[in-house]
Amino acid sequence: MSDERLAVDLRGITKQFPGVLANSNVDFSVRAGEIHALVGENGAGKTTLMNILYGLVHADSGEILVDGKPARISGPRDAIAHGIGMVHQHFMLIPVFTVGENVMLGREPVTGPDFYDHRHARQAIQELTRRYGLALDPDARMGDLPVGLQQRAEIVKVLYRGANILILDEPTGVLTPQESKELFGVLRDLVKAGKTIIFISHKLREVLEISDRITVMRRGKVVGHLTTKETDEESIATLMVGREVLLRVDKKPAQPGAVTFKVENLTANSDRGVPALKGVSFELREGEILGIAGVEGNGQSELTEVLAGSRRVTGGRVLLGDRDVTTFDARTEREAGIAFIPEDRRGAGLVLSYSIAENLILGRQRSHQFAWHEFVLQLNAIWSWARRLVKEFDIRTPSINTAVRNLSGGNQQKVIVAREMGTHPKVLIAAQPTRGVDIGAIEFIHRRLIAERDAGTAILLVSAELDEIRSLSDRIAVMYEGQIVSIEPPDAPEERLGLLMTGGGAPRVGAA
Amino acid sequence: MAIAGADPLAAYQGLLCGGLGALCGGCENPALQISNTIVFVTPLITTGIAVALPFRAGLFNIGAEGQLLAGAVTYTVIGIKLGNGPAPVVIPVALIGGMLAGSLWAGIAGVLKALVGAHEVVTTIMLNYVAQWLVRFLIIGGPLQAPNGFSASPPTGPGARLPTLLPHDNSLIIFGLPSSVYRVHTGLFIALAAAALFAFLLWRTSLGYEIRAVGQSQRAARYAGVDVRRTIIVTMLIAGAFSGLAGAIQIAGVDHGLTDKYFSDTTGFDAIAVALLGLGSATGIILASILLGALHAGGAVMQSDAGISANLVLVLQALILFSIAANFVGAIRRLLPFGRKPAALPPDLPPAAGLMSESATPTVQT
Repeated sequence: MSDERLAVDLRGITKQFPGVLANSNVDFSVRAGEIHALVGENGAGKTTLMNILYGLVHADSGEILVDGKPARISGPRDAIAHGIGMVHQHFMLIPVFTVGENVMLGREPVTGPDFYDHRHARQAIQELTRRYGLALDPDARMGDLPVGLQQRAEIVKVLYRGANILILDEPTGVLTPQESKELFGVLRDLVKAGKTIIFISHKLREVLEISDRITVMRRGKVVGHLTTKETDEESIATLMVGREVLLRVDKKPAQPGAVTFKVENLTANSDRGVPALKGVSFELREGEILGIAGVEGNGQSELTEVLAGSRRVTGGRVLLGDRDVTTFDARTEREAGIAFIPEDRRGAGLVLSYSIAENLILGRQRSHQFAWHEFVLQLNAIWSWARRLVKEFDIRTPSINTAVRNLSGGNQQKVIVAREMGTHPKVLIAAQPTRGVDIGAIEFIHRRLIAERDAGTAILLVSAELDEIRSLSDRIAVMYEGQIVSIEPPDAPEERLGLLMTGGGAPRVGAA
Repeated sequence: MAIAGADPLAAYQGLLCGGLGALCGGCENPALQISNTIVFVTPLITTGIAVALPFRAGLFNIGAEGQLLAGAVTYTVIGIKLGNGPAPVVIPVALIGGMLAGSLWAGIAGVLKALVGAHEVVTTIMLNYVAQWLVRFLIIGGPLQAPNGFSASPPTGPGARLPTLLPHDNSLIIFGLPSSVYRVHTGLFIALAAAALFAFLLWRTSLGYEIRAVGQSQRAARYAGVDVRRTIIVTMLIAGAFSGLAGAIQIAGVDHGLTDKYFSDTTGFDAIAVALLGLGSATGIILASILLGALHAGGAVMQSDAGISANLVLVLQALILFSIAANFVGAIRRLLPFGRKPAALPPDLPPAAGLMSESATPTVQT
C-alpha cells in the first residue's frame, strides 16, 4: 500500500524550551499510506514533535512539508486545512452530548436561522462510518459508551474534519486487549482507504504488530529509523533507552507465608453513589504479589481507595492479621503498616509544589520519626531520611529541596515508591505503579517490587497493563463490574484473561 | 493632583515625611512621624497574617476586619471590668480573650465551610457587617456606651493598657517634643513575635505542613491522612486569633476603649493587600505592613502640608498600591531572599517538560 511518496516530511526541526532542547534537528518522514510508529520514552520529544506538526507548538527552526509541498502551520486550524488530524490520548469529548453532537462540535450543520440540523449531522456520520467500517451510533450519549467506542468517535471526528493524516497519541493506553485488536483493525481499514497514520506509543509489542516503519527518539533526537519487519523488541528498547534493557522481569518463585491481609465481602459506592464494589473478597499472603487485572472502571480505583482509607465502605471487612482495619483512616492505616502507591500520581500521591524531602514524609508528617510530639517537624531527621531514600531509590535530582513538579514522571513515581517502600510495610498496595513512566524507571520499580516481595511484604498490584500483571504477579485476580470473577495462575493465557475482563469465560472453581 | 490645584512635589514630600520621616519640611517632626507609622503597622502585621495563613490553605479570609472588631470589643469589656487589677495579669487575660473572640468569629466561617461548604468569602464578608453593626449598637445606646453620652465606650482601666515605648512624661523632651506625644507602644513586639510564630507554624510544624498540603492539593492531603475539614476549621481558628489579637492590641496600646473610629476602620481590608503584597511570608508581611502603614500615616501629613483633599489622598494610596501590585510583585519576589525561590532545575528534566508530556493536554473525559 505504501509508496515512496512522503505524506509528511519534517526537516531539521529544532525546538528549545527554557532549559531543555525538546527537539534537536529532527528529521521525520512518513510515507503516504503507511502506519508509522513514533516511539521513545517520556520526555524524548515525540509529543513535542507531533504538537509542532499539529500547530500547537512552533518550531524554532526547520521545515514542514505536507504531501511534498512546504506548509506553514501556525495553529491546529492550518493543520486541519492540510488534512492533518490528531486523536489525543485524553479524549476531547463532552460526555453529555451524543456522538453526533460531539463529532459536529465546532462545525455544526445548521438549518434555518441557527438551528442544529440533526438530520444532516446523522447522515454525514452514517456516511463516514459506512465508508470506513466504523460501527457507531450517532445518537448514543457519549458518556454511556465504553472507552473503545469513545475513541472511535474521536477518530470519526477527525475524519469528519477531512483528515488524511491521522496522529494517534498513545491510543491503546486505555483499551482492553480486545479493544486494541479492534482499533488495529480499524487502522488497517483506514490505511486501505488511503489514509496515513502516525502512531505514538511506548508499547513495543503493539508497535511491532501494527506499524510499517518506526522512528525512535531519545532526548530530543532521532536515534533510529527502522523497518518493522527487520527489527525486534530488544533492539527498539535498546535504542530508546540508550543501553541494554531487561524487558523480562527476573524473579524467583514466590515463597508465600501466612495470610496477613484479608478482604471479606467488601462493598462500596463510587463517587456518583452507585455500587462500585459488589462483594470483593481475597486473601493476601506474606511474600506474594496478587495482581488485580481488569478494564479500568470496574471498581479497581474504588478498591484501592477503600483499602487506602480514603473511601468509606458500605459493607464487608478488611483484616490486617487479626486486626479489623476496615474503618481506619489513611493515617492510622499507614501506622498499622499498610502502604499505598496511589494510581493518580500527580493528584493524590504528591504535593507537586513540595520539595522531594517534604513529599517523602507525606502521610507521616506526624509520626514520631519526623515530628517531635506529633507537632514540631524534625528537619534533620527528615533531611537524612530524604537523602537516604534519594540514594537508595536512585531519584535523579540536583537536591532534596527540589520541588517534585520539576522532576520527570519516572522520578516522581520513584519518590512515591521510595516513600511507601522505605518504611518496609507489611502490606503494600500498588495501583498503576508504572503508569506513564519511562522504561528505565519501569525496570527499576519492577525490580523493587520483586525485592520487596522477597523480603516478605504482601503486595497487591493493580494495573491496567496486562503485561505488567502477568510478569509480576504470583496470582492474578480478574475484576469485572465490582467483583473478582476469577483468580488465575500467572501463566494463564492472555486471551482467557481478556475474556474474563470483559465478563466472559468460565471462572475457575474455588477461585477465592 | 496638579489638576486639583495642589503642588505635587509638596504632596509627595508630605507623603514621604509622614510615612518614613524622610525629607521633612520645617514644621514636621520626623521621629513623631515614624512613631505614627509604627502605630499603623502593628495591627497590619497580625491581620496580614490572619489573611495569609488561610490563603496557604486555599481559603480567602476577607473577614479580618470583623475578627479584629470581635477582639477589640472583648478586650474593651475585659479591660473595663478588670481594669483596676495588676497589668501583668489583666493584659494577658484580656489579650487572650480578644484572640479567642477573633477565633470564634473566624471559626464560624471555618465550620460553615468545612461542614456545609458555605464559601468563606461570603460568610466572612457577612460577619464583617455583623461585627461592624454590633460595635455601633454597643456604643450608641447599647450596653457599652459611656455615661457621658458620646458614641464611645468608657475607657479601660489602667491595668489594661500596654505601656508606650517611651515614658509618659511631659517633662522629658525627645527629638524636640515631649516624650508623651509618641504613641508607639509595646504591641509592636507582640506583633513581631506573632510574625515569628506564624513563620514557625507554617514551615516547622506538622500542622503547617498539613495546612500547606490542603492548600496545594486536597486529594493528596486526604491521601496522606490529613483531615481536611478539621484542618480548614483549625486554620480559620488560628487566623481569627491573629486578627483578634490585632483588635485587642489596638485597644490596649492606642485607643483604650471603643470609639466611633472603629465604624470606619479598614485595617482588616488593608490586611488583604498586605498578605498579597507580602506573598504570604512573614518577612514579606512585615515589609508590606510598613508600606501600607507609611501610606496611611503619610496621607495625613500630605493632606495638611500640600492641602490635598483627604479623599484624593486615599485615591493616591490606592494607585500606589495598584501599581505595585500590578508591576512589581514579580520583581520584589526575585530581589528579596524570602518567598519561595524557584527551585534549581534538574539537568535531565526541567519544567518545560510539562509542555511536552501528554499530561499537558486538558482532560475532558478519559
